[in-house]
Amino acid sequence: MSEIPAPTASEYVYEVRDVGKRYGSVVALEDVTLGVRAGEVVGLVGDNGAGKSTLVKILSGVHQSDSGTVLLDGREQLWKSTHQVIEAGIETLYQDNGLAPNLAVAANVFLGRELTVKGPLGRLGFLDKKKMDKLAHEDLEAAGIGVPASERSVSQLSGGQRQAVAIGRAVAWARKVIILDEPTNHLGARQANEVLDVIRAAKAKGLGVIFISHTLPHVLEVTDRIVVLRLGRLVRDAPTSEFDNESLLGTITGLIGAT
Amino acid sequence: MTNQTVFRPATAPVSPSPKHDQPNVVARFFANQTAVLIIVLIGMVVLFALINPAFFSIGVFGNILVDWAPIALIAIGETFVVISGGIDLSVGSTITISGVVAAFAMQAMTTAGVSDALSIVVGAVVSLLVGLLVGLVNAVLINEAKLVPFIATLATLGAGAGMALVLTKGGPVGGGPPTAINLSVPVLGPFSYPVIVVIVLAVIAGAFLHRARFGRYTFAIGGNQFSAVASGISVKRHILKVYLLSGGLAGLAGMVTYLTLASGSPSSGLGDELNAIAAVVIGGVSLTGGVGRMSGTIIGSLILTTVTSGLIVSNIDPNWNQVVVAILIAAAVTLQTLRGATHRRKS
Amino acid sequence: MVQHVNRIVAATAVSLSLALVASGCSSGASEPSSTGSSAAAQKPLTITLVVGSSSDPFFQAMKQGATQEAQAEGNVTVKYQGDATTYSPATQIPIVNQILAQSPDGLMLAPTDPVALQASVTRAAASKIPVVLVDSKVNDLSKVTSFITGDNQDGGAKAADALATALGYASGKTYQVAVGLTSATATTNTDRLAGFKAQLAAKYPGIQIVTTGYSQANPKTANSNINNWLTAYPDLAGIFAIDGTNAQGAAAALQAKGLVGKVKLIGYDAYKTNVDLLRQGVFTALVSQQPAEEGKQAVQTLTKYIRSGGSSDGIQAAVTLPNIILTKDTSADDLTKATYVESAS
Repeated sequence: MSEIPAPTASEYVYEVRDVGKRYGSVVALEDVTLGVRAGEVVGLVGDNGAGKSTLVKILSGVHQSDSGTVLLDGREQLWKSTHQVIEAGIETLYQDNGLAPNLAVAANVFLGRELTVKGPLGRLGFLDKKKMDKLAHEDLEAAGIGVPASERSVSQLSGGQRQAVAIGRAVAWARKVIILDEPTNHLGARQANEVLDVIRAAKAKGLGVIFISHTLPHVLEVTDRIVVLRLGRLVRDAPTSEFDNESLLGTITGLIGAT
Repeated sequence: MTNQTVFRPATAPVSPSPKHDQPNVVARFFANQTAVLIIVLIGMVVLFALINPAFFSIGVFGNILVDWAPIALIAIGETFVVISGGIDLSVGSTITISGVVAAFAMQAMTTAGVSDALSIVVGAVVSLLVGLLVGLVNAVLINEAKLVPFIATLATLGAGAGMALVLTKGGPVGGGPPTAINLSVPVLGPFSYPVIVVIVLAVIAGAFLHRARFGRYTFAIGGNQFSAVASGISVKRHILKVYLLSGGLAGLAGMVTYLTLASGSPSSGLGDELNAIAAVVIGGVSLTGGVGRMSGTIIGSLILTTVTSGLIVSNIDPNWNQVVVAILIAAAVTLQTLRGATHRRKS
Repeated sequence: MVQHVNRIVAATAVSLSLALVASGCSSGASEPSSTGSSAAAQKPLTITLVVGSSSDPFFQAMKQGATQEAQAEGNVTVKYQGDATTYSPATQIPIVNQILAQSPDGLMLAPTDPVALQASVTRAAASKIPVVLVDSKVNDLSKVTSFITGDNQDGGAKAADALATALGYASGKTYQVAVGLTSATATTNTDRLAGFKAQLAAKYPGIQIVTTGYSQANPKTANSNINNWLTAYPDLAGIFAIDGTNAQGAAAALQAKGLVGKVKLIGYDAYKTNVDLLRQGVFTALVSQQPAEEGKQAVQTLTKYIRSGGSSDGIQAAVTLPNIILTKDTSADDLTKATYVESAS
C-alpha cells in the first residue's frame, strides 16, 4: 500500500488506486489508477473491451473491485452499495441511462430520494408528488430540458429526451463528482453540444467530472486531462494539450505505445 | 436539490407534447382498464340477473364476497410481486399450509379450553406467521440462491402442499372454536367482518402501491431493475419485503378460508395461485413487470368470483367458468397491448 | 404443478414404503410363521395398493385394513400409492404404469375412471400380475381376479331413504334437494347418484333434484357451490353430499347460514369429522362404507390367489360389502366402530 506512486492524496477529490477486477478468467481491469480533481474534467477513453464500463461501475458502487482502493477526498472508502456512493455526492449517468421507463420524469429524477409528505404518513413513505413534480420541472427546465406533461412515463419520450432527463438528474444531484458514461448517445449534433455546455458548467461549479466518450473531438474539446485504457490497463494519463485526434486514436488502438 | 441548478444554456426547451395520447374519447376510455372492468362487472351482474332474478340478492352478493375475500388478498400480494418483475406461484399452497397450521393451533387451544375469541386471534397470528415464513423462504431462494421467481415459488408451492398433507394425513382439521363459523356470516348487508377487513386492506394496499415509496420502488424494479440499483435502492431488501407481503397476505387468506369452512383442509387453497394470476392479468398488470393498478386487480378478482357464482345460480355447467376466464384474460391482455401501442413513440 | 407435487409425494411414499418393508422384514423374522406348510406359501409377496387420492381418509382406512391383513397373512408387504390430492385418471395412470413396471406380485387398484384405467388393467393381466379392484371398477372385469366394493348404488338408495325419513316425506308434497359430487365420472359418485335417483323415482317422487355440483376434491369449491344453492333455492329442503369434500363444504355452509337442522344433510363416509358433526346434528345421517374391510379382503384374495398358484377356487369374482346408515340414534359404540380409522403412521 505504501508504494503508491500517485501525487499527494488530497489533490484528488475522487480516485481509485491499483484497482483490479476479473470476471471468472477474464481480466476486466488490472492495476488501474485514476483520479479527478475538483473543477477538473477528465476524459476516459478506450476501445470496446478496454474496461471503461467496469471502471464506471466500480466508481459508482454497482460493483466492488477485487483489489485496490477507492478514495474520496483522500480518505479510503469501502463502497458496498450505490447508495453509499450517491450519499457521498457522486452521481453517475450510465450508458443505458438507468431510467425506469414506466415511471414519470419527476419519479425518475427523485428515484431513491423521494420527498415524502409531512407527518406520520410521510414516515410511512407517502410521497409528496406535487412537490417533486414542481422541483423536477424547475431544475430540468433550468437545464434547458423542457419536460412534457409529467404524468407520462419516460418510455413515451424520445431517446434524446430520455437522455436529457438522465443527464439533468445526474447534474442536479451531484455535489462532488459527476460521471458521464457516453452522455451524447441518442443525441443529435446540437444537443450533443448542449451536453458539452453542461460539462463546462459542472466544471465551473467545482464538480469533478469524468467524461467517457467515443467521440474523440468532444473529448479533446472539453476535457483538461485524458486517461486512456486498453485491454483493462491504463496506458496513458496526460493533459489534453498533449493529444490530438490522431495521437489519441493511436493510443487507444495501441498503435502508439504506452507511457 | 433546488440549490444545485448548475447552468443556464441558451437553447430553447423541447416543444411540449399534446395533453393526451389518445385521439378521442372512446380510446381514452379504454385506456383506463379499471373503468372497463367496472362496466364488464356491471354487465355480468345484469346478465346473470336476467337469467335468474334470484341472482340479484344480498345472499348471492354475500356469497360472491365470501369467495372474493381470500382471492383478493392473494391477488393484492401478487400485484406487488408481478409489478416488481417477479411472480409468486406459492400463494395457493400457502393458503393451505397456513390454514392447516392455524387449524391445529386452534384445535389445541379449543381442547385446552381457551376462549373462542382468543383462539381465533391466535389462529390469525399463526396463519400470518406461516405465510411470512413462506415469503421469507421465497425471498431467500430468489435473492441468495439466485433462483428465478417462477422456479423458487414453484418449489415452495410443492413444499407447502406436501407439508400440509404430511401434517393432516389428508383429512380436514376441525375441532376449532365453535363460534368461528359465525365470523363468515354477513353483518352489514352482504359484508361479513372478514370481507370488510379485506376491503380495508385493499384500500391501504392501493395507497401504498400508487402513492408511497414502497410502491414506487416496486414499479421501478419491475420496469428496469438496474435503474433501481443505479438510484441507490437496495433491490434485495425490497424484493424481500415484496415476497414477505405476498406470503403474509396468503397467510391471512388461509385464515379467512378457515373461517369459511370452520376447518383446515389440505386441499382448500390448491390452484388458487392461478386465480390470483388471472385476477391481476385481468386487472391490467403486465406479467413482464412495471405496469399495473390495484383497482384493476380488485375488480378483476371480483369479476372472477361473480362469474363462478353467476354460473351456479344460473344452473349453467360450471365448466364454462374456465372458458369465461380465458376470454377475459385474452381480452385484458389485448387491451393492454393496444394501449401500449398507442403510447409508444419512435425514439 | 400437480406432477411436481406428485413426484415429491411419490418419492416420499416410496421411501416410506421402503422403511415399511425394512420394518416389516425385521418384525417378520421375530414372529412365528402362521400360514401354510409348503415353501411356496412362505415366499414374500409385495402387493401394491393404488388408490385415487392417497390422502383421502377413506383410502387411508382401506390401507390400514390391508396392512393389518398383510401382517396377519405373514410375509406379505403392502405398498400404498396414489396421487396426494387429486382423484383423477390423469394423475393415477402414470402411477399405475410406474408400479406395473416394477412387477409387483399383485395389484390392488381403485380405478378413478372405468374407461381410462381399462388399459392399465389389461396391461397388468398381460404381465401376469393379478389384479383386484376395490371401491370402483373398470368396464371389463374379465381379467380381474376380484372386485370388492361397497355397494354404491345401495348407498345412494339408503341415502334417499334417510333423506325421506328426515324430511318426514308425505306423498303429494314436493321437496327440493341438491346433490354435491366431487367428479362426474368416478363410478363411486355416479353409482351413488344413480342409486339415489332410482330410489327417489321409485318411492319418493315428490323429491326433486334441482341442481348438482362438482367440487373436484376441493372443499372450498363445494362450500362455494352450496352457499350459492342455499341462496338461489330458498326452499331447498335437503342436500346429499356424495363425498367428503362436499360434506365439509356443506357443513360449513349450513352452519354459516344458520340452516342446521332446517336443511337436511345426508353425507357419505364415516370420516371422524363427519361423525363428530353427526353427533352435533349438522348431519342428519351418514352412509358408512367399510373401507378397512375392503382392504382386508383384497389382500386376502390376492394372497390366496397367488399362493395357490393362480387358482380361482374359493375366490368370489365380485364382493359387495353392505353399507351402514349412521344417525343420531346410532349407539356410541357402533359410531366408533364405523368411523374410518385414520392412519397412525
